[in-house]
Amino acid sequence: MQRNKFDIFGPFILTIFMLILKFLFPNKMSFFTEIIIYTIYIMGNNILYGYLGLVSFGQPFYLGVGAYSAALYLAYIGHNPLIAILLGLVSGIVLGIVFGSPFIRLRSSYFALINAALCAIGVFVFERLLIDITRGNDGLWFRSRMHSISLLDIRLPSNFFYFAVILFLIVTIIYRHIDHSSLGTLFRALKNNEDKLKFLGYNTFLIKWIGFILASMLTSFSGALYAVNFGFVNPSLGENSRAIEVIVATVIGGSGTVYGPFFGAFAFLGIKDIVCRWITRWELVVGTITIIVLFRFSKGIWGNIKYLIDNYKIKPAKLK
Amino acid sequence: MNIDLLLSAVIYGLSIGGIFFLVSIGLSIGFGLMRVVNLEQMLYYTFSAYITYTMVKLTGQFWLGLLFGIFIASMLGLIVETQLLRRVYGKEMIFTMIVTFSVFLIGIGIIQIIWGLDPKPVASPIKKILNLFGLKIPLYRLIIIVVAIATYLMVQMFLQRTIIGKAIRAGIENPDNLQGLGINIYRIFTITFVIASALAGLGGALNAPLVMVGPYMGFDMLLYAFITVILGGLGSVKGTLISALIVGQVISVGGTIWSPLSFVAPFIVMFLVILIKPTGLFGIKGIM
Repeated sequence: MQRNKFDIFGPFILTIFMLILKFLFPNKMSFFTEIIIYTIYIMGNNILYGYLGLVSFGQPFYLGVGAYSAALYLAYIGHNPLIAILLGLVSGIVLGIVFGSPFIRLRSSYFALINAALCAIGVFVFERLLIDITRGNDGLWFRSRMHSISLLDIRLPSNFFYFAVILFLIVTIIYRHIDHSSLGTLFRALKNNEDKLKFLGYNTFLIKWIGFILASMLTSFSGALYAVNFGFVNPSLGENSRAIEVIVATVIGGSGTVYGPFFGAFAFLGIKDIVCRWITRWELVVGTITIIVLFRFSKGIWGNIKYLIDNYKIKPAKLK
Repeated sequence: MNIDLLLSAVIYGLSIGGIFFLVSIGLSIGFGLMRVVNLEQMLYYTFSAYITYTMVKLTGQFWLGLLFGIFIASMLGLIVETQLLRRVYGKEMIFTMIVTFSVFLIGIGIIQIIWGLDPKPVASPIKKILNLFGLKIPLYRLIIIVVAIATYLMVQMFLQRTIIGKAIRAGIENPDNLQGLGINIYRIFTITFVIASALAGLGGALNAPLVMVGPYMGFDMLLYAFITVILGGLGSVKGTLISALIVGQVISVGGTIWSPLSFVAPFIVMFLVILIKPTGLFGIKGIM
């Protein structure tokens, strides 16, 4: 595991990059905010797919729960968007604890499918079962109920952008720390060969469970950010059809890496933005991109960059 | 809730169960034999429905359209199997799932290009409504039930009585030994896959008059097919039939009790089955 120079300053470089982008293209600011939130979403899935090797076809469920936790708090209980976001984060931890234990016992395809089933059930819950409080498909508006917090009025889009950027910096630093810590090494060892890790005496179930909790925490956190950003939620956030997108984006960026999620979010949302102006048949593009990436480009953008950097350094020195 | 409503719900449930059986049998056997989770199975279903629509529009002949739809579906299956699936045999299952799902998405895109985005109605070829036991039952739905049962019997006969069928069953249990007998297992895979896609095509053509033929009709069916296959047990024909009937009943009778239940109840069933007994009702052990 080489630590190149980019790694040390990585989070700062990316943050400054986002700030520069906002300065250069101020009219695309909401797009950049969405990239940041989507990055955190992908970071969650990256722990599942990249570190633990688990595919879930139900990540939108965790996103939706985080979003609705924040939304319901703001719509009915309180006014502080920070507490709402915190609630989203906590809901993710709860989901991870509750569903982690029964789910991670399952073999890979069953894990994917049970998450898909959970996602469909979740849509039902938000759309029909709790329609009285969630207003079902009409969606829940709560922007007017948000109050400004002391330092920064994040109800304004530009302030929310800065808020998101700060969060992005903090989350990326923590994410990098996890990757470099023993936990990260355990994740990689587990994905490589779970039995060997068991023979070494590690409790692989617990490791997977912790990874699952971290993943759902990040995913729900991003959901809460989505909610506060738009001031509005509706059940389509948690729909099954969105499930493949986050997997594709994770692979495009580079699964199992620290900065992969950022590149994945940027590339995926960028392609979506460009393509959707000309082609309405988004499915065709997603499908084609997925196949190309899986067959020819499986390291992803950041994965390939890292590979090039690392291998460049290993070239033997010429003897004079 | 009166008996009439319940009885019509049961018959309705049997007919959708029949469709589920036809589209799911391919998933189940395909998985059992080739260890491939075929997420693009519904593409054959959708294509066949569209071909039927086009035939009806051009010639007004529904049954001709059905035959043509099945033919096109099997040809598509042949192409996909020989070109794409050959390359992913042996790779891990999740890889296959994502790849086949992407093929599904690409296929939906192609359908949208050829036929456009708006849903196409297909008129039912038989509009007669029977009056049985005081209930009004569309004859078409009864025919679907009959076709499904006939298909089940034919598939069972094929698997039990013919050499190829026995080879398929042997391949499900132990692919290596099958090759050891000198049988070209890739040819068996192809045959199985073509049959599976043809059956999905049959399901698509039959279902075309009952649901709106649209680009996304495969999506909903895919989830239900999965539920059917997991409940029944991957690799088991009998299991697929029984669970298809169960899921059909859950949707129709559940819908009569509380209408939103018809959508979510099958997912609750799938959720519980995976948690409690992932191999399903009749699943062959050791497959997953």
